[in-house]
Amino acid sequence: MWDDNLREQVIQLEAEAEKRQLEDFLAKQDLALDKDVEYAIALFDGVKIAAVGCFGGKVLKCIAVEGEYQNKGLSAGIVTALINEEYRRARTHLFIYTKPQNKLIFSELGFYTIAEIPNKVILMENKSDGIIKYLAEIVGEKITTGNTAAVVVNCDPFTLGHKYLIEYAAAKTKKLHIFVVWEDRSSFPSEIRYKLVREGVQHLPNVEVHKGKDYIISNATFPSYFIKKFQDQVETHARLDLEVFSQYIVPALGIRKRFVGEEPYCKITATYNRIMQEILPAHGVKVEVVPRLTYDRQAISASRVRELIRIGEMDKVRELVPKTTYQFLISAEAEVTINQIRLTSQRH
Amino acid sequence: MKIHDVGMAGTLESSDITIHIEDNEGKGIEIGLKSTVENQFGNQIRKVIYETLQELEVKDALVCATDKGALDCTIRSRVMTAVNRACQSNTYPWEAK
Repeated sequence: MWDDNLREQVIQLEAEAEKRQLEDFLAKQDLALDKDVEYAIALFDGVKIAAVGCFGGKVLKCIAVEGEYQNKGLSAGIVTALINEEYRRARTHLFIYTKPQNKLIFSELGFYTIAEIPNKVILMENKSDGIIKYLAEIVGEKITTGNTAAVVVNCDPFTLGHKYLIEYAAAKTKKLHIFVVWEDRSSFPSEIRYKLVREGVQHLPNVEVHKGKDYIISNATFPSYFIKKFQDQVETHARLDLEVFSQYIVPALGIRKRFVGEEPYCKITATYNRIMQEILPAHGVKVEVVPRLTYDRQAISASRVRELIRIGEMDKVRELVPKTTYQFLISAEAEVTINQIRLTSQRH
Repeated sequence: MKIHDVGMAGTLESSDITIHIEDNEGKGIEIGLKSTVENQFGNQIRKVIYETLQELEVKDALVCATDKGALDCTIRSRVMTAVNRACQSNTYPWEAK
């Protein structure tokens, strides 16, 4: 029920005072305002905030109702407002990332549980068959039995290092599934990264390339992969992502093993790999860490390739990427991305 | 009417229903319902949605409904509006001759 004296108002995140009021409110509820929040709406009682909700991309988050206003159905109003705005932005497949004790509230608002880390976090989506449909998409007609493995890659862009990891894994298995991380937070757009991986592994007959979509290291399953500052949350997020992987993707494809490149640079990826070695074996999936391919005594990494692109050393880039990737990099199609890389610098 | 786009109408407030509708090319009408009164009125709600779609001559549609105890008249209105939005039509179904 709406309280008559409550008014709904969008919070201008650019305005310092309003943003601070939102952050203070969330802090009282034990929540931090995520860096990627792009829209926030609040119910005000006079000048005081009674309830808020936010979203970044397709993930609704930071939804909270102040103690004295609870049990009045305010969250329904907040979630309705958020969903309407998401639809207006042409996003209809939505996720909620929240504490497990809120499960019932959101379940009544039309959200379905994907995975849960007890006492920590729960991931829900607004489609009852979202992940089931995704599984149907990746499984295709032919189900392979026996020695099946998976590797998840971002490939920003596809380097000789990735090629080496994939060739190594493909040689050791009957069937290898490659998942390309789908979130558009990397320098190269998802479709391009996917295309370069496909072209780069064409010579391997037992390899299948999939789009990771929303369920593998996405903004929904592993938000902190893209937000570099929340180290303490990384472990929980990694657990959630791997939970989704082992609960849904492993049984659907009959995966027995996951290959992963050794991670000497990025702490977040290193944490993720460590948790993987803890969780996956418990689900009957072996993990093999493959040392990085080195060139000129330095490990080949996509971040190094991007750095070389940034400083314009295309000759050196050529030594670290397959022909297919290099061909793309010097094509007109790559111009926009390359210009962007030259303007910024970040790890993923 | 042919569903081109995604259409949504309604809220998640008590006594209302949210209707999400999208194309379901060649697969007929499919209704996914979540309701707080599923046990008591689930089938009645599905029936109202189905009949409203038939009246509007919608052949293929995937409907996701989240119900919080809406009355039949509310369900009808929400379905009509959602269909209208999904068809990008300028004439409301209750105005069309």
